[in-house]
Parts: sequence; structure tokens; C-alpha cells
Amino acid sequence: MRLLRLTVKDFRNLSEVEVEPSVHATIAVGQNGQGKTNLLEALYYLCTLKPLRAGRLQELVRFGAGQATVTGRFLLRGAERVISVQVQDGARSVFVDGKKAASLEEYFGGVAVVAFTPDDLHVVKGGPDGRRAFLDRAVFNRFPAYLKEGRAYARALKNRNKLLKDQAEPAYLAAYDEALAQAGARVWTRRRALMEELSGRAAAAFERIGRTADPATFRYVPHGLKLPPECPFGAADEGALSAHLLQRLGARLPRDGERGYTSVGPHADDVALELGGRSARDYASQGQQRAFVLAWKVAEIENLSAALGHLPLLLLDDVSSELDPERNAYLMAYLSHSGAQVVLTTTDGSLVRAAAGEDTAWLSVRGGAVRAEGS
Amino acid sequence: MTPAPLNRLVAQLAKLPGIGEKTAQRLAFHLLRSPPEYALELSGAIQEVVAQVRLCPRCFSLAEGALCPLCTDARREDRVLCVVEGVADLLAIERTREFKGRYHVLHGVLSPLEGVGPDQLRIRELITRLGDSPVEEIIVATNPDVEGEATALYLMRLLKPMGVKVSRIAQGIPMGGDLEYADQATLARALQGRREL
Repeated sequence: MRLLRLTVKDFRNLSEVEVEPSVHATIAVGQNGQGKTNLLEALYYLCTLKPLRAGRLQELVRFGAGQATVTGRFLLRGAERVISVQVQDGARSVFVDGKKAASLEEYFGGVAVVAFTPDDLHVVKGGPDGRRAFLDRAVFNRFPAYLKEGRAYARALKNRNKLLKDQAEPAYLAAYDEALAQAGARVWTRRRALMEELSGRAAAAFERIGRTADPATFRYVPHGLKLPPECPFGAADEGALSAHLLQRLGARLPRDGERGYTSVGPHADDVALELGGRSARDYASQGQQRAFVLAWKVAEIENLSAALGHLPLLLLDDVSSELDPERNAYLMAYLSHSGAQVVLTTTDGSLVRAAAGEDTAWLSVRGGAVRAEGS
Repeated sequence: MTPAPLNRLVAQLAKLPGIGEKTAQRLAFHLLRSPPEYALELSGAIQEVVAQVRLCPRCFSLAEGALCPLCTDARREDRVLCVVEGVADLLAIERTREFKGRYHVLHGVLSPLEGVGPDQLRIRELITRLGDSPVEEIIVATNPDVEGEATALYLMRLLKPMGVKVSRIAQGIPMGGDLEYADQATLARALQGRREL
């Protein structure tokens, strides 16, 4: 896939932007607060329908404007297609070639993107919710149906928690226990499938950049399960996981009922990141922690490219200033060798020069305006 | 600026689902421009609907008079009952002309977040109805989303002990649909629910 042209209108602080990206690196240079990240987010939102930063959808619309529109012309499997997303009154509509898309599958058809932002670098140190969100983004990139499935689980969970708080009759709660168990087992199988594909690649990537003999491990940790040894989490099929979750929900009901909160299920899980068998959160240096995230992202790119048969579009938001020179050099060399189409933002062009080539498109971002530089 | 009666009409029209302020205004102007008979007929039709259409006291579909035509039709089977969320779902199943049994309309699904519990749906009426009719099988045809699924599970737990057969409509690839274009969640469900040939 290739992005041929990006048009942004009234998205955050960008009033009207037109970008013709390079086949390889496109580098947006600008001071903080000028709109670099907004440009990247517009592209990310177009490709995933998820904002990079949390908040209400209406916040994507430029202050004073009625609607925000992001349009991309892509080359997908040899055919040019225009996909477009519009945000108005806190709701979004999606278009393919000017027509309202009939389904998200039609809309996403073949567009894949991996984003890397400074927030990602704190994922090792931060709480499990950050790691789950980080993981879920990768799962969605690999399995677009996960968007729907993840939402179904979140909805079932909210409903069940409401029933717990209301102390609803047991028969009513039981119906939602089962609905939650079914949706939860689906989330587990998706996350597990991704981790199976990714953890080996991530460990290998870490070896190249970790600057330590200790091996890194990336492992999904389901919380509060008591699966029998003959049927561990990695081997249980979806039906068995659903049955087990149902049983665990029942076992924890007395306590959960008191707290009005469901304490077991995919929403309570974590990703364990370990260096030489010890928690990276507690024992790895800051540089090593960042290497974990970098390794994960490299693994994600390689994995998507193996699964899709082509490289995803890569978006990097001011990551270079957060990495030490050696790891930044590795990343820049990786990007330039991968042949992937990349959009980078930076406050300092010299940091990313190693990823640039003859055909790099340099953009300068200032006060919500984006201008092509140089060539 | 515009006369008050026109403003009132626009305000009422804008309350309709899917109608915004601008569309409401366009509709109001259209009514104003049309021959007066049309507007009178429209308002008459609205009044008639409100005055004469009731919920059928047996299946809770729409009826004019006592029972709805589906409940009074002697050719339909009393042994099979199809439970649906709303009248629109009933109509969709009727259009297939495949189903010869009777219906029961719940008027919603169990949704704690929206404050809809078993008491807000026509579930008690369904139980009462089973007591005095020869129903052998109940087909639960709620939507395959979280709430529809939970409602189906609730009904199953409630009805099974009464000695009646409970089934759920199948989920999978639409007829005439291409596998290639099926969304992944549907495809995954269809694979799970595969049958031996």
C-alpha cells in the first residue's frame, strides 16, 4: 500500500493542509505546539478511526469549524482508492471513493498503519491499562475485526458491572455472565494469537538493540484464572476459555458483588515484560525499557508485513528526541533499509537525517500550516 | 420572522428520528406548498394511527381492534413461537414466508446501561402465554449483539425448565454473499457454527 496524497481540513489546529508524501520518508519539522502531531494524528485517525490521544471525538474538529475532514488517496493492490473520514457533531462518517462505506471492513480493506509516539515509551513503567491499550492497538492492526469484538466485550462488561452495582436478580446477572464470557473468550483468543506471532520477533529485535546479554521476554498474563495444568491458557480453545471465564465469574461473585466491579477477564490482564527473568519495570534501565518498546514496534512492523504481504505505513511522532543516539541511529537505519513508507515528525531535522534519502519530502509545520520545503 | 404555526410544525418535525432542523424546515415548506388536501390527509393518517393502532394483547405486535391478524389466523401453527425484539424484526421474518408459527414481540432487549430490565420487556406476558397455549418450541430471534445475546441467554434459562424446546437462530454468512466480503467476526462465527455434510 502507498499513500499518494493526504488532505486535511479543520482537524485540530490544521485548517487546510495538502501533503504529497514521498514513497519513502516524509519528515515534518516544526516547534512544539505548531501542529506536527496533529498532522500525524489526522493520518492515524484516517487509517484506524481511533484518535491517537484520548478525548471526545468533537475535540478533533478545529475550534470554530463545523466539521473535520481527512482524506487520503492510497494505492492499494495496484488500484487507487480514496478513503475519507468526517467528524461532525461528535459522530464520524466514513467514505470510500466518495461513497459512504457500507462497512468498516470495506473501509479498512488493506490499509495498515503502525504508529510510534513518545507516550508509547512510557508503557513499560506505566500501569497495566496502558499496556493493554498498547497491545489492543497492535491486535486491531493485525485483526481489524477486533474493533467490533473489543467493543462488544467492553459493552458486556459495562452492563454486567451495572447489574452488580444494582444488585440485580441472579437470573438476570447470569445471562450477562454468559454474554461476557463469550465476548471475553474472543478477546483472549485474538490477543493470544497476536502475542504468539509477535513475542519471538520482539525478543529477536531486542537482542539487536538491548545492549545486554539478558534475553527479553514478552508474555501475556491472564489475571485470576485457574485453568487446569492439562489445559493451560495457551492451549485452551475458545469454548474452554469461555466456560472457564464463566466459572471464574461465578467464583468471584461474592466479592465482585460487594464492590460492584468485575475483577476477572481480559480487562484485568497484563503484558509481562521481563529482562533475564526479572520485571523490566523494576530492573531495566530507562534505555533498556525504551528498547523494549522499540523492539515491540519493530516486531509489529515485521509481523504485519509477513501477514499482509506488504509493509504497513509507519508514523513516528517525535520519537528520536526520546531515544539515546545509538538506538535512534538503529531506528533510523532500520526505517531507511525497510523500504517502508514513513511519516516522521521532529523538532530537530538533524535527528532523523539518517532516515532521509534523496527522495525525502521535507515539510515545515508552523501555526497550523504545512509547507513543502526545499525541493 | 416566520409565522408561529410554521415554527411549531418545524419544531415537531425536527423531533423525528433522522430529521434535523434544516430538513424539518424543508418538509414544512413542502407541506405548505402542497395542495391543502395532502396536509389534511397526512394529519388524518397520524391521528388514525394514534387512535386505532394498539398492541395485540397476546403477541404485542401491532393490531387494529382486539387481536392482531397473526394471532387470529387459524392456518398458523400454535406449536412454534418466534420471539423477536421489535415489530420491524417480525416483519423481516414474515417477508421470508418461511415461518408458519406465531410471534411474541419483547419490545426491546435487556440492557442494564439503558435501564431496561426483564420487567420492562414483555417477558412476564410470554410466560403467562405459555401456560395456556400448546407451544412446544420457542425460537429466540434477538439480534446477535451483546444485548441480544444476553436476552437470548436469559430467556433460555427461564424457559428450558418449563419443559419447552428453546432454539436460537443461526449466525453466519449471508446468502448470496461472498466469503471474501464477509466481515471477520461473522466469518469466525460461521466457522465455529459449521456443520458436517
